[in-house]
Formats: sequence, structure tokens, C-alpha cells
Amino acid sequence: MPSKSTHTAPDSQPSEAVRSAGRRHTPTVNARMFGATIKLAIRSLLARPLRTILTGLGVVLGVAVILAIIVTNASTLDAVTRVFTEASGKAHLAVVNANTKDLGFSEAVLRQVRAAPDVQAAVPVLQGQAVLASDSPDAEVGLSIAGFGRGGLLLLGIDPVADTLAREYKVVDGAFLSLDDGAYEIMLVKNYADEQDVRVGNEIDLITGADRARLRVVGLISKEGPGLLNNGALGVIPLKTAQDLFARNGDVDQIDVIAVPGSSQGRALESLKAALQTRLGSRYSVIYPATQGERVAQMLAGYQMGLGMFSAIAIFVGAFLIYNAFSMTVVERTREIGMLRTLGMTRRQVISQILVEAGMLGMIGALFGLAAGIGLAGGLIRLMALFLAQEVRRIQIPTSGLVISFVIGLVVTLAAAAVPAFQASRVSPLEALRVRGRSRAGWFARHGWTVGVALIVFGLLLVVVRLPPPLGDHTQDAAVMALLLGAAFIVPKALTAWERAVRPIIRRLYGDEGALGSRNIQRALLRTALTVSALMIGVAMILSIRAVTDAFALDIRTWIERYIGGDVWVSSTVNLRSDLARRLNGVEGVAEVASVRYLDVKRILPEGTHESLSLMAIDPIAYTRVTSFVFTSGQGNPERMVSRLAGGEAIFISSVLAEKNKLKRGDTLRLLTRRGQHDFEIAGVVVDFYNQGRVLHMGANDLRRYYGVNDASTFLIKVQRGQSPAEVQERIDRLYGRSYHLTVESNQEIRERAMRLIGQTSSMFDVLALIAMIVAALGVVNTLTMNVVERTREIGMLRSLGMTRRQVAKMILAEAGMMGVGGGVLGIAVGLLMAQTVIGSMNTMAGFSMRYVISPQGIIVGFVVAVVVSQLAALWPARRAAQLRVIEAIQFE
Amino acid sequence: MAILKADSLRKQYTLGGHTVNALDGVDFAVEQGAFIAIMGPSGSGKSTLLHLLGGLDHPSDGEVTLAGQALSILDDTQATLVRRHNVGFIFQFFNLLPTLSAEENITLPLIIDGRNPRQQQTHIDALLALVGLVDRRHHKPDQLSGGEQQRVAIARALVTEPAIVLADEPTGNLDSKTGTAIMELLRRSCDELGQTIIVVTHDPKAAAYADRIVFLRDGLVSRELAFERDGDRGTRLMAIIQTMERLEN
Repeated sequence: MPSKSTHTAPDSQPSEAVRSAGRRHTPTVNARMFGATIKLAIRSLLARPLRTILTGLGVVLGVAVILAIIVTNASTLDAVTRVFTEASGKAHLAVVNANTKDLGFSEAVLRQVRAAPDVQAAVPVLQGQAVLASDSPDAEVGLSIAGFGRGGLLLLGIDPVADTLAREYKVVDGAFLSLDDGAYEIMLVKNYADEQDVRVGNEIDLITGADRARLRVVGLISKEGPGLLNNGALGVIPLKTAQDLFARNGDVDQIDVIAVPGSSQGRALESLKAALQTRLGSRYSVIYPATQGERVAQMLAGYQMGLGMFSAIAIFVGAFLIYNAFSMTVVERTREIGMLRTLGMTRRQVISQILVEAGMLGMIGALFGLAAGIGLAGGLIRLMALFLAQEVRRIQIPTSGLVISFVIGLVVTLAAAAVPAFQASRVSPLEALRVRGRSRAGWFARHGWTVGVALIVFGLLLVVVRLPPPLGDHTQDAAVMALLLGAAFIVPKALTAWERAVRPIIRRLYGDEGALGSRNIQRALLRTALTVSALMIGVAMILSIRAVTDAFALDIRTWIERYIGGDVWVSSTVNLRSDLARRLNGVEGVAEVASVRYLDVKRILPEGTHESLSLMAIDPIAYTRVTSFVFTSGQGNPERMVSRLAGGEAIFISSVLAEKNKLKRGDTLRLLTRRGQHDFEIAGVVVDFYNQGRVLHMGANDLRRYYGVNDASTFLIKVQRGQSPAEVQERIDRLYGRSYHLTVESNQEIRERAMRLIGQTSSMFDVLALIAMIVAALGVVNTLTMNVVERTREIGMLRSLGMTRRQVAKMILAEAGMMGVGGGVLGIAVGLLMAQTVIGSMNTMAGFSMRYVISPQGIIVGFVVAVVVSQLAALWPARRAAQLRVIEAIQFE
Repeated sequence: MAILKADSLRKQYTLGGHTVNALDGVDFAVEQGAFIAIMGPSGSGKSTLLHLLGGLDHPSDGEVTLAGQALSILDDTQATLVRRHNVGFIFQFFNLLPTLSAEENITLPLIIDGRNPRQQQTHIDALLALVGLVDRRHHKPDQLSGGEQQRVAIARALVTEPAIVLADEPTGNLDSKTGTAIMELLRRSCDELGQTIIVVTHDPKAAAYADRIVFLRDGLVSRELAFERDGDRGTRLMAIIQTMERLEN
């Protein structure tokens, strides 16, 4: 056997010069070639303006959604924390009562704080709720995702001398409070004063609890800094006056601490905080002012997680569209690419040619996406502000957010174009010149389903098996992504069988030419499968959002029915004396009255730290006469549990808390009370979602004993048999509405409003589902246009055989209809699974007990949207196909 | 009686600002059952004539009458229906639908017309037998050879029993042996079914199957040859080649 060297004829191998020609270029040559590549890329993008725009739109929408969600989250979080930081002004730390913020502590602590080293100043604050006597009571209870909001006027009692060290009041009219700290003077926020028609020099009557007081308006401040508190419904009064008004002599709620310059930040501030904490002991908490916004931030976290997941899905769908568009470009330009290859373009040059196009499109699309994202954020923020009952005035656009969304847009575009670019590079010159390129059914179409099944099984496993906390937080996202991807992988295989099954229906709807169109689904399988997948994801989003929303609504309804039990709900912006219960009991038609007091308390966790919980205090016996507790199953006799609660030293905990902390009946739970730490026996586990389930129930006697609170926030009223709740409501309003400043509402009204709020909440997610559907529609347009271009000659043949333009259009519409129906049905299947996953993990992670209800409305809406979108998107390609000129079409190659 | 008639057909195109006369006044009549070949060099107007005869395009001037129907007055849909019922097309590149089996491709014109192919099963079976594809009726186009695909296309053109079959270079994409078989099949369709056929071709061997040859040059009929129906094919071929040479000089 001859050796290699002798076997090789000298001319059968390229010379060194030829071999190196593709690689070694001088920088000038490289630059020139790059310039040429750019030029070709621009021309090619401009040559197909519609495609370029469609693909670009995919990038724009994807980037816009990502940025909009980043901006929305940043802005709402900023608005929430800003209220607290601006209200605390220049304060570096704040001292509050460790067991409950509502109760405050003795002024004497002030001296202790002031005497501490590194403290420059300490400023006391006392807060209280009041209402303007001239202001009519609210017609309805304020609802937000934070629960029940309280309107009214927030009074801030301050030390007129010291307070300016901590806060900047911008007086826009009149003057600042006088130095007399017992004067009956008040400053109001200008916007609020204008609304209430109050001017400087006026005297106003305030109702605080059951007392009234008259104060003189000395000045108006602007709605900034502390003026942002309570959304501007704020009155600033001297500390002594506040103590008088609320009968809390010698009390303060908070001390704002200003550190000496050297200790005002970083580690020095951290150690000052620790030193102060040690000095004051466990009855007080030393906190950073901004952390007061944390409760709201915590509540937002779940919401933001949901938004984040949907933005990931949006970019996922966008990637489909981009991939589709670029493989279309490659198919269409097979001849052109082949020609370039015969002229000596290397495979690498072909790849870079396509990638440069993608890069340019990605960059331009991402830039437009940034602009669109900021616009979209504006709308989302308005919705968010509505749920938070908190004005969001400044739109926060984090630089990192701009960079992240831009980079994601660009990278996804390049990644999606990489496969088509590679395919293009494999076009052989001869092949390209002979026949039109065909997209081959590759590995993905033939074997992808195995991966798909594996992914779906994995996704379902994730739902069943929960991972430990750091990973566990993302289990839901991972499960949903696995389900979606898995379904997308199954689509190509499923499509063929699916088409055969549904063809008779399509034939019936679109006629015989429709059946031809339906069969075309099997061609360009990958492209079609991607389009079907995009539709599927859109439908799955619509459906799962609807299902989760419905589950929430059902949950809220159950909650409202049980916990705002009775028929009429009486509340006020100020706390109510509990003897009002007796008076309400005397109103004609009232059968029972139960008072409820909500309070923020601190629970001591086993490791010594504490968490904030809501405490609902009731008279257990009266309460059960008006409504009922909902106990989780398997706890024994409900009556015994209720009497145990009434017996004292006992609490009920919510199922959310029980699940989270592995607590059950008979265990104890330690709370920080006015009398120090105290263990309460858990007398039962109940279903209650107030404050997202972070809630305890306690008897009114214990509340008095351990927290010194004796008033009520709310009264639940049951009307006598045969009495109309509306009439009783009206009677109460007439008798006590004005004097006690009551808001009297029927349960029916509250329920309806809560439902509306839920509806608005879901509209935010609906917007995202809509965007996913738009992207999917763009995919349908792209795919069908590509099919029409590829089958031009075939359509010409059909026309020559006597197919009318109408029949051609129907054939294309049927093909789209097939995609729509396929995407719709698959989307429903995946959506139902997804909804179950999301609800399941929300239940296990957050302790909700939402029931999964299949929403027929969601199924119908999802399906109809998929079909309608597919038909609308097919109109243009169908028209294009119908208008092909026969002769040109049959000569088309 | 003429089944197809062309009167002073003209077709002009504007190409880059210049007017090109693709057809410059062609008169032409086809009797029922005739087998005609149209020959001529590239750009002589062969395909343009075929498109006008089949109602795929409108002449700039003149008239085509197919089965007694003047085509120029028809709108697109009417022309489509005339095509559907009266014309069968055969293309150089077969143009079969890849998703349909051979038999389904044959029945395509019936499907387009909203007819149920099953009711014409005997007719279809006969056509499958004629083109010799009974055994391969369920195969998809990509499982058939080029010659077999063209035979499917022929059966498809015949299935509606059209007034006329128009074939554009039917052997252009086939080797000579398969090409011969295809031309023999067309000849049989003419002889056995009485089918009127017009073939556009470059290939004198293919043209030798026709009884009448029309030579086109620069958009005009430059010469016609007519043969006895049962004349010898070799003699025909010689005559055609001689005529071609004469016309080229």
C-alpha cells in the first residue's frame, strides 16, 4: 500500500497559498470585508422590509416586556420605601416598640437615646388617626392588596424645635408650628387642604376616637418628604398636643436618630445600631427607616415573581419568532447563498453574514424595545399603584435594567439566528443552484418528543417533590418552564397524528381545498411546530392566568364570606370605642354584633429573631354568633376549640402559619406583649388569609390584658331574620354614621369591590398574555408567508389546474386554522397543567389553600383567541397567495 | 371542427422600458383529437403561446377560443373555471403535491372541483392502468422516479377528460429512455382516448410523436409540418430535423 505522501498527487490538494487565503488577511482586508458584510446585511434587511419589521417587532416586544417589568418593580418598590425614607428624612436609625408599633413607649427612652455615644440628635414622633369633622365618612372601605386600607387623616405629633433636624418641611403657605409644643396648631399638606377647602388661619375640628378637638391651621406644606405620608392626608401637630388628643401622655411611637457624621453610614452605623439595641434592650427595636416599607415589599415579592416568570415566557416566545424569521430568510435565500458560495464565500463568512444581520436587527429592535418598555411600564405602574393604594410618582429606570434587557434582546436574537446561520453555511453551492432550499425535518422533528416527554415528567416531578429553600424558591418557575419546553418539543411529533384526526373537521369547515391546506401542516414541520408552540404558550398563559385568578377570586370570596361574616360591616378611619357595640346592638333589626380589632404584633421565633404578624382580636362567643371560624379538618370538636380560646392564654393560628412553621393544635407560640414575652397555646388552626395568612386570632380579654387595647377597628353585624341588610345599614348610618364617623357597608358591596380589585390585578398579567399572543401572531404571519413563498410554483400549478383565488386563500386559511386549533388545544392542556402547578406551589410555598377550579371561561377564551389570531394573521399571507400570477408562479424557482 | 382557435394573437411585454413582442400575430387552429407539437428556439414565444391557449394569460390583442368559448372576455374566476373543466396541464417539473399519494394527486382536479373522487373510481383505476401505476398508487411523490412522477402528472391532466391537454417540455427533465416512454403514453392517450394534445418541446424526438408540427420564430409561425397519422416515426424525425436546420440558416 503506498504511503500517503506518495499517493497524493501534487495537484490534488490545494496549494498553501489557496489554503491560507481564507484565513490570513491583513487588518485592512479584514476591515474591508467587514464593511462589505455590514453593507450586504443592511441591503438584505432592507430588501425584505416587512419581514425585517415583523422579526424586529418580536425583539421589541420581548425587550419591552422585560424592561417594563424591571421598571415597574423598581418604581413601585421605590415609591413604597420612599414614603418611609423621606418621612424619616435625615434620620439614620429609628427606635420603635419591639412588640407592636401601634403601642408606642415612654418618652423617657428619649433621654437614653440622646445620651448614647455617637448620637447627634434624637427626635420623637407620635402618630394617630383622626378625621376632619367636616369631611363626610368614607362611603366604602379602602381595599388594596395590602388588605383593608384606612383612609382618614394621619396626625404626626412632633417636637417643633428638634424635628427640623430630622425632616424637612417645605412650608408653602403660612408658617411652621410655633415653638409652644402644647399649642393647638396644625400644618396640613397643601393638596389635602385644597381638597378639603381649608386655608391658613382656619380652625378645623378633628375627631380622634370619640373625642373632638379644634385646631388652628398655621401653615401648609408641600406634598414631598414627610408630606408623602398617608398619600398626603397628613396633619403635623406639636407632640404634646398629639399626646393630649390621643390620651397618651408621655408616650411616643418612634424616635428618629441622627448619628454624628463619622457614624452615619456603613459599618459605623451598623455598630451604632447594635450598640443602641443593646443599650435599650429587647423591648425596643432599632431599625433602619427604610425597613418599615418591608411588609409591603414582602407582599409585592410574590407578585414580582409572577411578573418575572411571565417576562421570561415572553422572551421565550420572542426567540421562536426570531428563529422562525431567520430560517425563513435562509430558505428564501438558498440560491443567493449558493451563488455566493460558488463565488468563493467560505462557510464561516456565510455564518457571519447571517449573524451580522441578526446582530443589527437585534440592536435596533432592542433599542426600540427599551423605549416601548418604558411606555409599557407607565401603564403597569398605574395598575400597580391602584392595588397598592400608593401613588407612584417617579418612574425608576435602573441602568442595570436597561443593560440587562438590551443584552437579553441582543443575545436571544443572535442565539435564535445561530441555528439558521449554521444551516445556511451547510448549503452546498450546487444544491443551492439546482433546487430551492427545503427545511429538512431534522433531529428535533423526529426525536424531539423523547426530550419533551422527559421534560414534562421532570416538570411534574418538580411539582410533587419540593427542593430545599434556596433552590425551592425557583421550583415553580423551573416546573413551568420545563412543562412549556417539554410541550414545545412534543409538538412536531404530535402534529402529524393530530392533523389526521382533525382533517375531517377542517374539510367540513373549509372544503376540500381546506383539507389540502391541513395536510400542508406536515411540511416544513419544524417551522410549523414552532408557530404552534408559540400559540400554545400564549393560550397556556391566558388559561393559567385565568385559572389562578379564578382560584384567587374563589379564595377571597370564601374568606370574605366567613371573616367579614354577618351582613353589615361597620368600620371607621379612627379606632372605635368598644361600647359602640352595645349601641349598635340596640338598633332596630340588628341581631348580633361582634367587634374586631386588628393589631400588628411580633412573634418571637425559636432562634430569637422576630416576625411581624397581624392579630385579630374578637370576643369568640359573640363572633361565632355572627359568623363562624373555618377550622382545618381533623382537629376535633369546634365548640371546644372556641371555648378554649375564650378561656384565655390561647390563640388560633392560620393554616398558612401552621404549614410554614409545622405547628399544630396544642403547641405554643411566643409573642412579644406589653408584659414581655409570653407563650400562648394554639387552640386551633383556622383558614384565614388576612395579611396573606400571617394572622393570629385572640380573645378580646387577652388583648386587653397583654396589649392594653380596648377599642375596636370593625364591627360585624348580623341582621334579624326577615330584616333587609340595606335598611339596617341605612339605619346605623343615620343614627351613628356622622357622630362616630362610620363607614357602613353591606358585605355584598365589599365582596363586589374585592372581586373588581382581583379583576384589575389580573389585568396586568392579561397584558402580558396578550403580548405573548401578539408575538405568536407575528409567528403565524411569518410561517405562512414563508410557506407561500416556498410553494409559489405549487400554488401556480394548482391555479393552472383550475383552483380559484378564493380556493387558494381558503387553503392557506385552513392551514393557519389547523395551527390555531393545534396551538389552542395544546395550550389548553399545558395551561391546565401549568395552572395546577402554579396553584399547587403557591399553596405549598405560601400556605394558601387555593382550590384548583377548571375555568370553562378560560378554556373557551384561550381556544377562541388562538383560532381567531391564527385566522387574522393568515389573512395577509392568504391574500398574497391568492394574488400570485399563475404564469410567474409556475415559472418561479 | 376546431376545438381550439387562436386568431391574430399578439402578446407584448415591457422589459426595462423596451417593448418586446413575444407573439406577433399568430393564427392557429386545433382539431379535436389532434396531437400537435410546437417547436422553436428559446424566446420564440412557445411558452407564451401555450399560456395564452390555456387561459393562464391574456393576449395583448387577438382571441383564443376554447371549446367555443372566447377567453379574452373572461375575468379571472371565469377563466379559472374554463381551465378547470377544459384544460389539462403537464409541466417540465411534474409539480405534484408532496403530501398526497400518486392516486390522490391524480384526483386533485376533481377535489378542486368539489367532486367526490370515489364516485369516479373506475375512471381513476383505468387511468392508473393507462399510466402503469396501479401498484404504486399509494406512493408519495418522493417515493417515485421522475418518469413515474410525470406519469402521475399525465393521469392528473387526463382525469377531468379536458378538451385539451397542454404539455410544456414534458420530457425536459427526464432521461431519453424515460422521455420516450412518456411521449408514447401521450400518443396512446391521443390514439386510444381521442385526447387532443399540444406539446411544447425543444426535442425533435419528442416532437416526432405529433401529427403536426408548428415552428415558431420571433413570435410568428414560421413553418408547419403535417404527417399522416400512421406515418413512420423515423421519417418524421428526419423531416423535423431538416426543417429545423433550414430555419436556422
